[in-house]
Amino acid sequence: MRNRDLSFWLFIMPVLVSLCLVIIVPFIYGFIYSFTNWNGLVATEFIGFKNYITLFKDEEFRASIWFTTKFAVTSVILLNFLGLGLAMLVTRKMKSSNFMRTVFFMPNLIGGLILGFIWQFIFISVFGSLGDLLGIEALTGWLSTTATGFWGLVILTSWQMAGYIMIIYIAYLENIPKDLIEAAKIDGASSFQRFRNITFPLVAPAFTVSMFLTLSGSFKIYDQNLSLTNGGPYNSTQMAAMNIVKTAFTENKMAYAQSQAVIFFLIIAFVAVTQVYYNKKREVDL
Amino acid sequence: MRSKNCFVSLISVLLVSIFALVGCSASDDEGKKVASGDQVTIDILQFKVEIKEQFEALVKVYEKEHPNVKINVKTVGGGADYGGLLKTSFSSGEAPDIFNVGGPSAVEEYREYLADVSDTEAAKTANEGTLNTVTDGDKVLGLPINQEGYGLIYNKRIFKEAGINPDEIVTFKDLESAAETLDSQKEKLGIDAVFALAAKEKWVIGNHLANIFFAPEFNNDILEAFDAKTIPFEKSNELKRHLDLENKYSVQPVLSLDYSQQVEQLFSLERVAMIQQGNWIYNSVYDMDPELAENGIGILPVPLEGYEGKIPTGVPSYWAVNSASDPEKVQASKEFLNWMYTSETGKNAVLEDFKFIPAYQNYDATKIADPLSQQIYDYASKGNTIEGWVFLASPTSWSQEVLGVNMQKYLSGSMEWEDVISQSRAKWEEERK
Repeated sequence: MRNRDLSFWLFIMPVLVSLCLVIIVPFIYGFIYSFTNWNGLVATEFIGFKNYITLFKDEEFRASIWFTTKFAVTSVILLNFLGLGLAMLVTRKMKSSNFMRTVFFMPNLIGGLILGFIWQFIFISVFGSLGDLLGIEALTGWLSTTATGFWGLVILTSWQMAGYIMIIYIAYLENIPKDLIEAAKIDGASSFQRFRNITFPLVAPAFTVSMFLTLSGSFKIYDQNLSLTNGGPYNSTQMAAMNIVKTAFTENKMAYAQSQAVIFFLIIAFVAVTQVYYNKKREVDL
Repeated sequence: MRSKNCFVSLISVLLVSIFALVGCSASDDEGKKVASGDQVTIDILQFKVEIKEQFEALVKVYEKEHPNVKINVKTVGGGADYGGLLKTSFSSGEAPDIFNVGGPSAVEEYREYLADVSDTEAAKTANEGTLNTVTDGDKVLGLPINQEGYGLIYNKRIFKEAGINPDEIVTFKDLESAAETLDSQKEKLGIDAVFALAAKEKWVIGNHLANIFFAPEFNNDILEAFDAKTIPFEKSNELKRHLDLENKYSVQPVLSLDYSQQVEQLFSLERVAMIQQGNWIYNSVYDMDPELAENGIGILPVPLEGYEGKIPTGVPSYWAVNSASDPEKVQASKEFLNWMYTSETGKNAVLEDFKFIPAYQNYDATKIADPLSQQIYDYASKGNTIEGWVFLASPTSWSQEVLGVNMQKYLSGSMEWEDVISQSRAKWEEERK
């Protein structure tokens, strides 16, 4: 702590000031506003916990939180599975592996909003025509039911994020000492045994990183949701972030939306803190 | 050594912050000078994306005629969230001088920012009834942008080949039998289905379709609906009947069918015979198929018992002048709006470039550019209209987020019609307590 003299504080001042201005101050403001009847223009009175009481009776908000949770859990599992799978694929000694890494990572470079519209076309028009052509009922009518909307979102996010997660796994996979694998080979371990007993435990730290990224990412998702389903049909595929934006800007209940955001923040914070806690604990164990 | 470093960094940080502050204040001063000088700058934030270029062209003409006025136009709309942006710009102190307000709820919300425009000529020549929403005693708080109307837009060629005369479709029975006839000849006519019901768009069903059936309960008066504590829904069975008909003969699945599929993919490519939409689709159809847009389409009223042959028209939105701006800006803004709707140049642009149905008198109706608007203007001039888009006066977002969503649930089969009505009514009452 000795080097934290005046110049230390001066140098971090610009960052500290802007962090305060754009994150901390608005956060505190928002927290205060959630106890008022603010409509975006004026707040006339403090109404205490009324917003929070309404919130717990708000079925739509509850449904959106539940939908987000389901979505997050499914996509976290799928994303890590796919990410690891792709990473294993491109770390084999193949000629095309560099090219494939690029290809798998590419979707991540396209903005979520555009991806949503592209996949909307694929789900509705391409799937529809394929279904008609091959006579497969299951391919038609995508995004018109809650279930297909849900899986549409999961497929879209997996496709977009898997490449990114793959990069993380590649880093860990390439750090596995070759002699361990070779020794196991000589001892006669099958490829599944090698994966199960050597590769898997050694990339385990990558899980924590990927888990954190995918979990918080899936919880906060908004643009893909907006462009792919826009909450439809009948707001049943509406995620928490979208519900909050809608309450604030379409329904004009700014203060109420603010209280939703506070609750949403608490949920995400809880999830993140729990995860960091386990993360630390495991690092000690290792 | 360390103290020297510390000193250098202290100086540099100070310098940086001073420069930053000086930079800010300098630009502030500049802004003020321009505003208080002869030059007046007006900021417009408007949401009609479809007239963006034409509007900017008209603004250029105005700037040429009035060298001391400079107008900045910002257009945000279509899929984007205009209401949200407007609110943000107000709360961040960057409020525009001219902006758009929709229905009475928006007027209520922004009331303290709306300047009185009753002294303009445009306000005096506005069509009867179009100022209802924005009248506050003697004051007029906005100027109607245009009038719009909607109904069932049909493809003339397909109707002709199926042997249907659109003029004979007056009652629900007529519409039903026309739909049956079209449906039975689908192969021959080369269409996918009779209708394309864009039920993904909550505004298509929750705002427009439903409005036809509940506007008469409020005597078609927006302000009456705005004060109403409840909504009777006496004609809910007629609404159900009509929704069922469109759904039955529509391209499926309706719940993922959106506006662009409905208008561009299906209607403009002549794959369906009829869609429930309004005169605003003209430009989209024109872009796809100019021939079809100019000669091949017409509009029918949605049949409603007791109101057959009447088209619902309304003023979707108003121009408002921000009363919190500097007085000279307010004055310049009013002059500009007045010029747009009363000068010859402005009138021509409104009719021919914007392709608006004017909400003002003294316009040459034959100049209305597209056949849909002209037909609606015909209905209007014969008094065959249901005045007032009452959905604009429902509790904020009720018509889409409550009624629209419930109608979607009904279409998906997960809600009974009685529940659609009773739950929507309960929500209305709760909001208006």
